[in-house]
Amino acid sequence: MSEKAVTEEKRVFMTGNEVVAWAALAAGADIMYGYPITPQNEVMHYWTRLAPKYDKKFLQTEDELSAGFATAGGVMAGRKAFTATAGSGSVLMQEPMAMAEMMRLPTVAVLQQRGGPSTATVIYSQQEVTLTTIGGNGEGMRVVYSTAGHQELYDYTIKAFNTAWKYRFPTFVLGDGYQAKMREPLTIYDPETRGISLLEPEPFVGKEGEPGKDRPPAQYRNTFNLEEELYEKVMSDIREFEKVAPEIAEYESMETEGAELVVIAHGIVFRAVREAVANLRQQRFRVGGFRPVTLRPLPVTQIKELVAGAPKILLVESSYGQMARLLKEVACGSATEISTFFKPGVGITAGEVEARVKEIIKS
Amino acid sequence: MQPAPVMPKTWRVDTKPHKFCPGCGHGLILKCLGEAIDDLEIQSRVVYGCDIGCSLLSWDLFNLDTVQAHHGRTTPVMTGIKRARPELICIAYMGDGGGYSIGVQHLVSSAMRNEKITVIVANNTQYAMTGGQMAPTTLPGQKTETSPFGRDPGTTGMPFRGAEMISSIVQEGAYVARGSIANLRQLTGYLKKALKNQIEGKGFSFVEALSSCPTNWRTDAARTWEFIEKDMAGYFKVGEIKIPGRGEVTADA
Amino acid sequence: MTGRIVEAYIGEYAAGKSESAINRALELARQGRKVALVDLDIVEPFYTLRPLQKELATLGLDVIAWQTGETMGLGEAGTLLKPEARWALKREGDIILDIGYGVDGARTLNLLEGAVRDPDLKVFAVINICRPMTSSVKDIVAEVSLMGRVDGLINNSHLAGETTVELVQKGARMVAEAASILDLPVVATLADTELAEKIGPADCMGNPVRPLERFMPRAFW
Repeated sequence: MSEKAVTEEKRVFMTGNEVVAWAALAAGADIMYGYPITPQNEVMHYWTRLAPKYDKKFLQTEDELSAGFATAGGVMAGRKAFTATAGSGSVLMQEPMAMAEMMRLPTVAVLQQRGGPSTATVIYSQQEVTLTTIGGNGEGMRVVYSTAGHQELYDYTIKAFNTAWKYRFPTFVLGDGYQAKMREPLTIYDPETRGISLLEPEPFVGKEGEPGKDRPPAQYRNTFNLEEELYEKVMSDIREFEKVAPEIAEYESMETEGAELVVIAHGIVFRAVREAVANLRQQRFRVGGFRPVTLRPLPVTQIKELVAGAPKILLVESSYGQMARLLKEVACGSATEISTFFKPGVGITAGEVEARVKEIIKS
Repeated sequence: MQPAPVMPKTWRVDTKPHKFCPGCGHGLILKCLGEAIDDLEIQSRVVYGCDIGCSLLSWDLFNLDTVQAHHGRTTPVMTGIKRARPELICIAYMGDGGGYSIGVQHLVSSAMRNEKITVIVANNTQYAMTGGQMAPTTLPGQKTETSPFGRDPGTTGMPFRGAEMISSIVQEGAYVARGSIANLRQLTGYLKKALKNQIEGKGFSFVEALSSCPTNWRTDAARTWEFIEKDMAGYFKVGEIKIPGRGEVTADA
Repeated sequence: MTGRIVEAYIGEYAAGKSESAINRALELARQGRKVALVDLDIVEPFYTLRPLQKELATLGLDVIAWQTGETMGLGEAGTLLKPEARWALKREGDIILDIGYGVDGARTLNLLEGAVRDPDLKVFAVINICRPMTSSVKDIVAEVSLMGRVDGLINNSHLAGETTVELVQKGARMVAEAASILDLPVVATLADTELAEKIGPADCMGNPVRPLERFMPRAFW
C-alpha cells in the first residue's frame, strides 16, 4: 500500500490545477490520461510530479479522443481513472463521454473552460456549459459540478469520484481558466478523516476466474439493433438519472427569503454575485443570490421555489445564455420577470452586477 | 447425427452460429485468434475489444471479457485498460477503416509508445457494414460505393500498407506481421507470436489479416479467392515484417 | 402453368425495386404458384422488405430476409447477407430477387449460387423518370449501361401521391425509347391500382400495365 498523499488537514496556498491533482490523489485516483491543452496543463504537470511517489500512473495520449476512451478503459479495468481538458478538447471529449454515458462508466473529467471557439483566449469563460451538460449525441446523463474556487475544486474533485462510482454516470468538475490559474488558500484533508468514505472501484472486465467456466463473460456493447431496444435502454437510464437527481443536486443560496430580486449565477461568477448581494443588502436593496452547484442535474425544486417566490430574477453568466437556457426550462410557466446579464468569455465584477441590479429594480 | 463443428475452446457455443455473412473472413480470423488464445492458455487474462463495423458482430463471440467501442477507438480503450491493469492481455480487433482511417492516430501513437497491446486489423479493402465504401486499403481501380468508377490513385492516393507503416515506426521489441485467411495455420502462428510478445512484455504487437468480403465485393467463391490471393496479396505482401531480436524482416518471409 | 420464373429486380437507389419485386411475387402467388421472395438489398437496407416479412408470409410468399432482431448493429446499414439467400436459386418454384442498388448492381447476383448458369433468370432494371439520375432518355441509357447484366426495363415512373396518368405515360415513352437504344424489351409499366385502371391493360407504347399496391411506405424501420 502506497502512502497517502494527504494525511493531515492543513491550510495551503495553491493554484487551481494543482488543487485538482492533489484532490485526485486524496480521492484515491489510480491513473490519469491526458492531452495538453491550456488552461488545464498543470493538472497533468502536478499529477506527473506526484504520481510516482504514490504509485499512481499517467499516460499522455495522442489527443482527447484517446484520453477519453483510455479513461473509459481505465475505469472498465476497475481503476479510478480521470482526465482533464478544456475548449476544443472538450469537444473531442464528447465522443468518449457519450460512450461512457451509454455504458454507464464512472469516468471523471475536469474541464477548465476557455474562451471559445478560439485559440489563445484561455484565461476565462463559461462557454462549455452546454457541451458539458448535454453536449454529446445523447440525453446528457451526466453529473456536472460547477465550482467557485479552490476549496470547492478540492471538495468536488474528491466528490466526483464517489458520485461517478456510486451512480455510474460520467461525472465532470467544471472549472475555468481563471480558477485553474488563480491562487488562493484552501484546506486540504484526507477525506476519510472527515467521515467521507471513498468508494472502492470494481472491474467491469478482467474479473476473477475463467469466463465461460467460473462465470459468464463480461461483455459490453454500445450497439443496438432495434429502435425499441435503444429506447428501452435510454429510458431506463433516464428514469434512474431522474430518480437519483434530487440526491445529487446541490445549490447555494443567500438572502433569497423575501427578496424582490434574486441574482442567479454559477461557478466563479457567483463570487461576484456574493459580493454584489452583500453590497446591495447594505444599501437596503432586497436582493438575494442563488447558485446551482450542480448544472446537471439541476436543483430543480429549489429553482422552482425561487421563481415562484421572487418577483424578479437576474441571470448572470460569462456566456451568451448557456446556463440561462437550462434554468429557463425549469422556470417555464412561472410569472417571474427574468432579466439577463451575459458577457461571453469575459469576467464579471461585483460592480457590474450591482449596476445591472439597480437598473432592473429602478425600471 | 451431424458432427459438431470444431470451435476454439474460447468461443461461446451459445452465440453460434455467428452472424457474419457467408464467405466472410472475420469468422476465420477470429477462429485463428481463438485457437491462439487456447494454445497459450490465457483465456482468463484476456480482454477482447472490437470496433464499429462488422467486427462489432464479435462482441459476444468469445468466452472472453469484451468491450465493443466506438469506431477506431478500440485501440485507446484497450490501451487504457492495459495501462491500468498491465497483467491483462488486451486485444484490439478492428477493420481497416477503424485501424487505418478514423483510428489511425490511435494506432500510430500506440505503436510509437510501444503499448503492450495486440492490435489486429482485418483488411478487406473497404467499409463493409456501411455498405461497401472506399477504404484506405481499396486497390487501384477497385469499384466501391464511393469510387463507383474505380479507385483513382491520382485523386485518392494509393492503398495504405498499414503493417509496413507500423513496422517503420515501432521500436525494438515490437512484432509486426501480415497474414491472410488464405493461410490459416500461418495466420494462427502470427497471432500466437503477437500475443506471446504481449505476454512477455516485449512491446507492441500488430497483425494485419487479409480478409474477404464477398457480399460487398459481389464475388462468387472462385473470384473471392482470386481477389485475396492475387489482387490483395500482390499489393499487401504476406509475411512477418518485424520480429523482436531480428530487426526488419523482408516480407515474403 | 408456365415454367419456373426467376426474376431479379435491380435499379438505382429508391427506384422502386422492392415494390416491384413484392408486387410481382404477389401476382404470381395469386395465380397459385409457389413463390420465394429474396431480400438482397445489402447496401443500405433502411427501406427493405424486412419489416413486411410477416405480412407477406400471410399473403402466401416464402420470404427470405433477415428479421432485424436476428442480427446486431444493423441500424447502421447492415450489409449482412442471409445465408439462405445464397442458396435461393436452388429452391423449388418461382424466385423473385429484390436486389439493392450499388455499383454494378447486377453483380450482387454473383453472391447467389448458380446465378450465372440459371437458364430461367431474367434481370429487370426498374426506372422512375422522376428520380434525378434517370430523368432523361440519355440518363436512363447511361445508368442502365453501368448496371451490368440487364434483360429488360420496367417503367415505374411516379411521384407518390402526386402521380398522374400523364406522368406514367411520359415515363412509358422515355423508358421505351431508352430500351430501344439499349436493345432491350420493356417488360411492363407499373402504376398504383387506381391509375392502372385508368390507363387500361397497356400503356401508350403498348407495354403491359401491372397494377401496384404500395407496401414500402409501411416498411421504414
